[in-house]
Amino acid sequence: MSADQLPFQVADLSLASFGRKEIQLAEHEMPGLMAVRAEYAPVQPLRGAKITGSLHMTVQTAVLIETLVALGAQVRWASCNIFSTQDHAAAAVAVGPDGTPDDPKGIPVFAWKGETLEEYWSCTELALTWPDQEGPNMILDDGGDATLLVHKGAEYEKAGGVPSPDSDDPEEWRIILDRLRNSLADEPGKWTRVAGNIRGVTEETTTGVHRLYEMARAGTLLFPAINVNDSVTKSKFDNKYGCRHSLIDGIKRGTDVLIGGKVAVVCGYGDVGKGCSESLRGQGARVIVTEIDPICALQAAMDGYQVATLEDVVQTADIFVTATGNRDVITAQHMSQMKHQAIVGNIGHFDNEIDMAGLTRWPGVRRTNIKPQVDEWTFPAEGGRDGHAIIVLSEGRLLNLGNATGHPSFVMSNSFTNQVIAQVELFTKREEYPTGVYTLPKHLDEKVARLHLDALGVRLTTLTKEQADYIGIPVDGPYKPEQYRY
Amino acid sequence: MPLMAGLMERFAVQRPFEGLAIAACLHVTAETAMMVRLLRAGGAAVSLAASNPMSTQDDIAAALAEQYGIAVFARAGVDRRGYYRHIELALDQGADLVIDDGGDLVNTLHTRAAALLATVKGGCESTTTGVIRLRRMAAEGALAFPVVAANDTAARRLVEGTCGTGQSAIDGILRATNTLLAGKTFVVAGFGASGRGIAERARGLGAQVIVTEIDPVRALDASLRGFRVLPMANAAPLGEVFVTATGSCDVIGAEHFAAMRDGAILANAGHFDAEIDVRALAGLARAVHPGVRQHVDAYELGDGRTVLLLAEGRVVNLVAAEGHPPEVMDVAFGIEALALAWLACAVSSNTGDKLPVGVHDVPADIDAEAARLVLAATGTTIDALTPAQQAYLESWRLGS
Repeated sequence: MSADQLPFQVADLSLASFGRKEIQLAEHEMPGLMAVRAEYAPVQPLRGAKITGSLHMTVQTAVLIETLVALGAQVRWASCNIFSTQDHAAAAVAVGPDGTPDDPKGIPVFAWKGETLEEYWSCTELALTWPDQEGPNMILDDGGDATLLVHKGAEYEKAGGVPSPDSDDPEEWRIILDRLRNSLADEPGKWTRVAGNIRGVTEETTTGVHRLYEMARAGTLLFPAINVNDSVTKSKFDNKYGCRHSLIDGIKRGTDVLIGGKVAVVCGYGDVGKGCSESLRGQGARVIVTEIDPICALQAAMDGYQVATLEDVVQTADIFVTATGNRDVITAQHMSQMKHQAIVGNIGHFDNEIDMAGLTRWPGVRRTNIKPQVDEWTFPAEGGRDGHAIIVLSEGRLLNLGNATGHPSFVMSNSFTNQVIAQVELFTKREEYPTGVYTLPKHLDEKVARLHLDALGVRLTTLTKEQADYIGIPVDGPYKPEQYRY
Repeated sequence: MPLMAGLMERFAVQRPFEGLAIAACLHVTAETAMMVRLLRAGGAAVSLAASNPMSTQDDIAAALAEQYGIAVFARAGVDRRGYYRHIELALDQGADLVIDDGGDLVNTLHTRAAALLATVKGGCESTTTGVIRLRRMAAEGALAFPVVAANDTAARRLVEGTCGTGQSAIDGILRATNTLLAGKTFVVAGFGASGRGIAERARGLGAQVIVTEIDPVRALDASLRGFRVLPMANAAPLGEVFVTATGSCDVIGAEHFAAMRDGAILANAGHFDAEIDVRALAGLARAVHPGVRQHVDAYELGDGRTVLLLAEGRVVNLVAAEGHPPEVMDVAFGIEALALAWLACAVSSNTGDKLPVGVHDVPADIDAEAARLVLAATGTTIDALTPAQQAYLESWRLGS
C-alpha cells in the first residue's frame, strides 16, 4: 500500500496521549465550542456533511474537528501551513478520543510539522479525496488553499489541460501545477465532480476571503462562501488579540531577545498590525508602523506610533514584522541593508510578505540554521561593510504559528465557534445562500460573543424594554447596525 | 485629603509643635492651606509666604488671613522685589522651624535675613530643586541648620512626581493650548519621576514621545520602556510639544529654538523658570505676542516661524492648571508634616543626640507610616509578614 492510501498521515501516533491531554485542557479554554456541542449535538445538524478542512492542525483545531464530528459531520483534514501542525494534536485527532495508537478510530488527518511544499499539496489533495470518490460537500478553509485546488482543478479540466508555470512564478505555483497535471492524468474530471458536490466553503482568514471576493467578482466562484474572517468575534479577536498574544511569544521562543528598548517595525496597521504593535509596545519596544492606507496610517499616528516608510528605518530597526496580507513588503534589498542580527518575521498568512525567494537568490548569501524555524542569513561583505547577518523566523511563514503555538485556545474558540455556526448555516440553509460571499448575520456574531462571557466572569447588563425602544433595537439584539465598526 | 485629616486629629492630641514658630514658603493653594492648619493644630504659630510669584491663589491667601488668622504674605503676580519682601516678612514673624519649597526662603535666611538664622532650629524642603541647592550649601559649609529633604521619599516620588506632575503638567498644556496630543511628537526633557509620569501620560493620550536625558541609567530606563531617547539637539527639529522636567537650567536653548518646527509648544514642569532659556528665546524673536491665549506667548522668530511659550517658562502645571490634585498634595504634605514633627522632636532633644547641621533624608519609617495611613483611609488593606516570614527574611542561614 502506498503512503497515499493510508487512512491518515501524521508524524508519530505515539504522541496521541499527550495530544489528548492538551485537547482536554483546550476544551476548558474553548467555552464557545463546547457550548455549541451541548446545544447542537442532540439535533445533529451536520449529519450528512462531509467536510474537508484545511486549517492549521493544532490542539485548538482538534477541538474544532471533534465539535464538527459531535454535530454529525464526517471530516478529513490537512493543515494549511507546512510548519503549523502540532504533531501531538494531529496524532490525537487520528487516534480519536475512543481509539488507541494501535487501533486508531479518529478522523483522517494529513498533517505534520515540517512538510515540504510537495507534501503539503499532497496532504491538501488527500483531504479533498474521499474514499467514495465523491469528494467533500463542504470545505472549511483557512487561506483558501483547498478552495484554490478545487477551483484550479475544475478550471484546467474545463480548459483541457494544466498550463506551464512562468519562469518567474514562485516555486509553490509550479508544485501546484504539477500536482494538478498528475491529478488530471490519473483521474480526469475529478475536480469538476468534486466542485459540483460542494455546497459551500467557510473561510477563516483575510487572505482567503480576499481570494473569494476576487473569484466572486470575476464570476469564477463555484459555490457559496461564508466569510468567517469578518465576523467581529473573529477578525477583531483572533486577528487582534490572538496576534497580540502570539507574536511576541513567537519572537521570544525563536530568539529570546529582550524586546524592551528595541525598535520594532510593524508593516501594516490593520487588526493584526494593531495587536502586534500593542504587544510590542507593552513589552517596551519603540514601535514604528508602515502603512499604505492613509486611514490606518492616521490611526497609528493617533495611537502614538511613529509612521515611516520601511526605507526610512530599515537600517536602524531591530525587529521587523510584516502584517499586511500583501507581497514583497520586505525585499531582499531591504534585508541587505538591515542591522546585524536584525530579526525579520511575518505574521501575515502567506510567506510572500518577506521576499524569501529573493533572499535565497541574493549573490553570496549564506543560510545557517540555528534551530527549527530560526535561520541566520549572512550577507557577503560589501563596500567596506562586514558581512552582516539577519535572523529570519519560520522561513518567512507566519511566525506565531511556526515559532510559537499560534493563537491561544480562548481566542480560537471565538473564531472556531463562528466556523461551526457558518458550517451549520451553509449546510442546512442552502437555499438562503446562492453562490456568492457572505458574512454571518450579526445575531450569530453576538451569540458567539455571548457564549464566551461566563468563562471570563463578565456580567452583562440587559436593556430595559424602554431603553431598547429608545434606541430602536430589540432587547435581545442585534445591538448594532450592520455597518458598525466596533 | 485623608492623610492630613487623620494627622489633624493626631496632632491636635500630640501637639508636636507646641510653642514653636514655623515660617513656611509654599505655593499658596488650597492644599497648602490644609498644611498650615495642620501645623497650627499641632501647636505651631505659622507664617506663610508664596514660593512662586505667579502661583498664589489670592482667594486662598485671603481666606487664610481672614478666617484662620494666619500671617500670610502672598499676592499673585507680585514682582521679584515684592516676592522676596514677602519671604522676609514671613520670617520676621518668627522661625523656629522653616518649610521651604524651592529654597528661596532658606536662601533669604542665609543672606538678607541672616540676622534671624540664630533662632532657626531646623527645616524641611519640599522640592528637588530646593534640595539640590541645600546640598550645595551644605557641601560649601554654608548651611546653618539641619534640613530634612522631604522631596525625595519613595512614596513622594511615585505619588507626586509620577502621578501628580505627570497629570498636572499635561493638564496645564491642555488648558493653555487646547492642542490634541494624539499623533503629536512630544519631547520630555528628563526622565526622573516627574518626566516619566509626563512621558507615560503623553503616550497614553496618543503622542509619540521622545525623551532626552543626561543620566545613562534613566536613559536606559526610558529606552526599555519603549521611549525614543535622543539628545535635545536631535529632538528639537522633531518635537511639536516640549516639556522640561529636569531641575537643571538651559535645557532648551538658542540652538534648539533655531531648529524647531513652526508652532512648537514649549512648557516647563520643573520648579524654576530656568529650564527653558526664555532670555535667549526673546533674543531670537523678531516680535513677541504676549497672551495669544491665556498663559501662551507667541515668539515670532526672524524666519517667520513662531514658537509658543507657556506660562513664561514657569512651572506650567501650577500656572496654567491647578497644580497637583489634592490627593497628591495630601501625601506630600502628610509626609512633610510627619517629618517636621520628627524634626521638632529631634532638635529639641535634651539627650545630646541632636540632628547635625546638613541635609537629612526622611526616615523610611515615616514614609511607610504615611503610605499606611493613606491606604487605611482609602480602604485598602495589605498583607503583613508572618513571624516565620520575618525570621526568614532576617536570617542569612536559610537558603534554598
